[in-house]
Amino acid sequence: MANYVIYTDSACDICKETLSEWGVPYRNLTFRFADEDKEYSNEDMPVKGFYDRMRAGGVAKTAAVNSESFAEEFDKILAAGNDLLYLGFSSGLSTTFNSARLAAEQLREKYPERKIIAIDTLAASAGQGLIVYLTVKAKRDGATIEEAAAFAEGLIPRMGIWFTVDDLVYLKRGGRVSPTAAFVGNLLGIKPVLYMDDAGHLIPVVKVRGRKNSINMLADKYTELAANKEEGSVFISHGDCLDDAKALADILKTRHGIEVEIITDVGPVIGAHSGPGTLALFFVGNKR
Amino acid sequence: MSEEKKTQTQKKDGKARGACPSSDRMEKLAQAVEKVRVSVASNVAIFCEEAANLTERAKQRLASEPEGKPQVKKATPKKTAPKKKAAPKRIVVRVPKNENPVVESVEPIEGETAEVVHEKKKKKSGKGLGIKYLGGFLLSKMARGGALSLRFKADEVNRLNVFPVPDGDTGDNMRMTIESGIAAIENLDSDDLAEVMKVLSHGMLLGARGNSGVILSQFFAGTAKGFEGIEKADPASLGYALELGVKQAYASVMTPTEGTILTVAREAVEYAVARITPESTIRTFFADLVKEMHASVERTPEILAALKEADVVDSGGAGLFYIMDGFNRVLNGEEIEAGEDSTVGVSPAAPAVDPVSFDAFGVDSVMTYGYCTELLVRLQSSKGDVDAFDVEALKDFLATLGDSIVAFKTDSVVKVHVHTLTPEKVLEHLRIYGEFLAVKIENMSLQHSSSEIYASEEATPKEEAPLVRKKYGAVAVCIGEGIEALYRDMGCDEIVEGGQTQNPSTNDFLDAFSRVNAEHIFAFPNNGNILMAAQQAAELYTDATVHVIPSKNIGTGYVALSTADFDNPDPAAIEAGMLEAMKHVTAGYVSPSIRDAEINGVHIEKGDTIGIIEKEIVVSRRDRLEAASALAERIMGEDKFMLTVFAGKDADSEEEAQLEARLHEVCPDAEIYFVDGGQDIYPYIFVAE
Repeated sequence: MANYVIYTDSACDICKETLSEWGVPYRNLTFRFADEDKEYSNEDMPVKGFYDRMRAGGVAKTAAVNSESFAEEFDKILAAGNDLLYLGFSSGLSTTFNSARLAAEQLREKYPERKIIAIDTLAASAGQGLIVYLTVKAKRDGATIEEAAAFAEGLIPRMGIWFTVDDLVYLKRGGRVSPTAAFVGNLLGIKPVLYMDDAGHLIPVVKVRGRKNSINMLADKYTELAANKEEGSVFISHGDCLDDAKALADILKTRHGIEVEIITDVGPVIGAHSGPGTLALFFVGNKR
Repeated sequence: MSEEKKTQTQKKDGKARGACPSSDRMEKLAQAVEKVRVSVASNVAIFCEEAANLTERAKQRLASEPEGKPQVKKATPKKTAPKKKAAPKRIVVRVPKNENPVVESVEPIEGETAEVVHEKKKKKSGKGLGIKYLGGFLLSKMARGGALSLRFKADEVNRLNVFPVPDGDTGDNMRMTIESGIAAIENLDSDDLAEVMKVLSHGMLLGARGNSGVILSQFFAGTAKGFEGIEKADPASLGYALELGVKQAYASVMTPTEGTILTVAREAVEYAVARITPESTIRTFFADLVKEMHASVERTPEILAALKEADVVDSGGAGLFYIMDGFNRVLNGEEIEAGEDSTVGVSPAAPAVDPVSFDAFGVDSVMTYGYCTELLVRLQSSKGDVDAFDVEALKDFLATLGDSIVAFKTDSVVKVHVHTLTPEKVLEHLRIYGEFLAVKIENMSLQHSSSEIYASEEATPKEEAPLVRKKYGAVAVCIGEGIEALYRDMGCDEIVEGGQTQNPSTNDFLDAFSRVNAEHIFAFPNNGNILMAAQQAAELYTDATVHVIPSKNIGTGYVALSTADFDNPDPAAIEAGMLEAMKHVTAGYVSPSIRDAEINGVHIEKGDTIGIIEKEIVVSRRDRLEAASALAERIMGEDKFMLTVFAGKDADSEEEAQLEARLHEVCPDAEIYFVDGGQDIYPYIFVAE
């Protein structure tokens, strides 16, 4: 039985070192600023500088990676005799996964004996990261590629992905949310709480007055939906608002005695759309 | 009866109102009166006219009606008096309130005998004129006098409006309310008391502005119910009707407060009713009513501490007194002030016509924009079933002629607004169902040239009644570009312009509702004084379910609307959500003080800036920034973590920046948001959550 590699992309917002520790290679997605003709990856720009530039009015954009660049990376892994399990960024938000899927199709012809499985996590940021993390754990526990894939597939519809943004304008600008009638306009002081649905789309659900309330609301969602409130894995990602992330972790600890395993930055690729002040909570529940 | 002086005058149509020929005495009087055309208040000698009617009615009543029962049969004129063409002479009467009028000058009409002049003086001296019944004509005249009386006192009533927040608009609101009623009866040529009162009160309901205005309109509406089926009322019936009016006025307020217009109305009516005797006349009744009303107004500070503290009497009560005083003075044949510039009767709702250059539409111009056509149509039972009139079918028809269609029906009145190239077809069509109360047709090319913005708004489909009926709509009262934009951003469909100093009427709400094509409309009055007009409109409006969210200011309305989830299929849940959001809101106001005072231990000097939390003054500072900071500190105490500041039109950006910095110092942990509210009166409104 061949070894298999779990592969992801940088939308998972797990830092280079940690991914390396997990043994997970990844494809760097890129972004650029509208006023500058230069492509960056998350590793090329410190998040603080990135968000400061956004706060100053800089408009960051992303473009989907083409299938060719995935194929190149996949080829190396397959050529080395590994099977491949790709856990990719939600197709509800990007065509990145589709590029990877096309690359996989292409390489199946080249490597008919290799197992190539591409899974759309229908998640983003550390939610995608949490799926990768748990799948890596399963692999370490001896799961085959099929078992690991089935495990990830089973995890995906149960992911709790809840977040609040400081300003909905970024998500709207990038077309990442279709605001319903209720969420139109510049809602000063209103902190929308959103979640990611079964199709990997961002859905605004509640309009909360004030940041404090919106943070509490995320904790409430954990209390309401988390499958294993005392012991499950919980990740938090934030767009340059570490204090809020810590505050959220404190609430969860106080309420459920749970330690948040990873608090990470929302990297520029996701942050380009969610904006500074995004605070996201990821956990495993019974449904989305 | 024996003391009654019967007079006679002529109606506009030239038909004389009949006096009974079988009574010599009355015959004689009628003749005398013919020579003694006098004019009071207007150019019609109303009391004479009324009295002439009474000759007939009183007789009929004695002959056929059980005692005390109001007369409902139509009096049949049995005699036509000869026309009298002599120009009316004017009698100027100045009276202290509640005393008999004193004739200051009576100019003899040519050919008049001394005896007649004496008779006339006697009559004018009041003692002899015992009007037993109140009819439609008399009521119309009295109401006009009432409106005129208030018009002259509106400013005074405004000033009474309680200190220290300069919210002085009670007088204007009440004046506009009653004038709207007067406009409604302007062309009503009826002596049927029930009809006149119904039309008058309905006009008032539609034009009601402010709390006092709404209460006033409800008082009249209740009274109108008491008159139902009664062509003329004796004092007892009048008293009964007014009692219903008081009842309805109380019922219109969620938590009636004593020491207000309610108390004044109730006490006066109770007093006047208690003093009814078989000898009572309409005049004695009104004399009692007005006397007690005056006394009751004077007592209001004893009942309502806020009034005493501010050393004023209740403004709404005072307004009611002035109206009723006007009624009474007309009844006594007295002039209401000079009356020369009387504009009573002209609808206050009719906007002053902006100077429009007609040059914009010349001999070679092509009619492109059509006509903005507005009609008020009274449906006629002779032309069809008034109740069964189908507004939707009308809208469908209008859609074949134009756009921007608004049409709604209130009782038997249909209001129509349409932009069309063929207004004549609209008129022709509406004529099938009724007659016009008012017609306005404006060439929109002229509007177009006079204001590009207006024109572009007219031209955009936004104005058109939305064809797809939405589940939810929202209407908010606000004023100021910033705040209007903000509300529209939040999904508000229609803005009713208004606020503290400009309370929109019930009709303004109805208009706005009719422009929103939705099953459920959430209405945000955004002012305590506008709440009732909104609620009244909500009750009158039948095309949608209107949910009035009792927002006290643009800030709480903002909080409520900003949390509204219009994706929720359950309107009750949406409403509950908004009320819940508002529950955690404390509103504060930074306001200039207009007087010196000592309130709640806060020392206030005129020119200070005061800070108010809900209704209580908590701080007063010489400097506005200081006052605002101190208010913020107070309002953010305890469990508040979020402060939204609505900067008014008096606030400048430099001061805002300073204030923002100060607020972050004063409340370091709070989330602070500044909104360009552009409201009047208050430079800053604080909304703490």
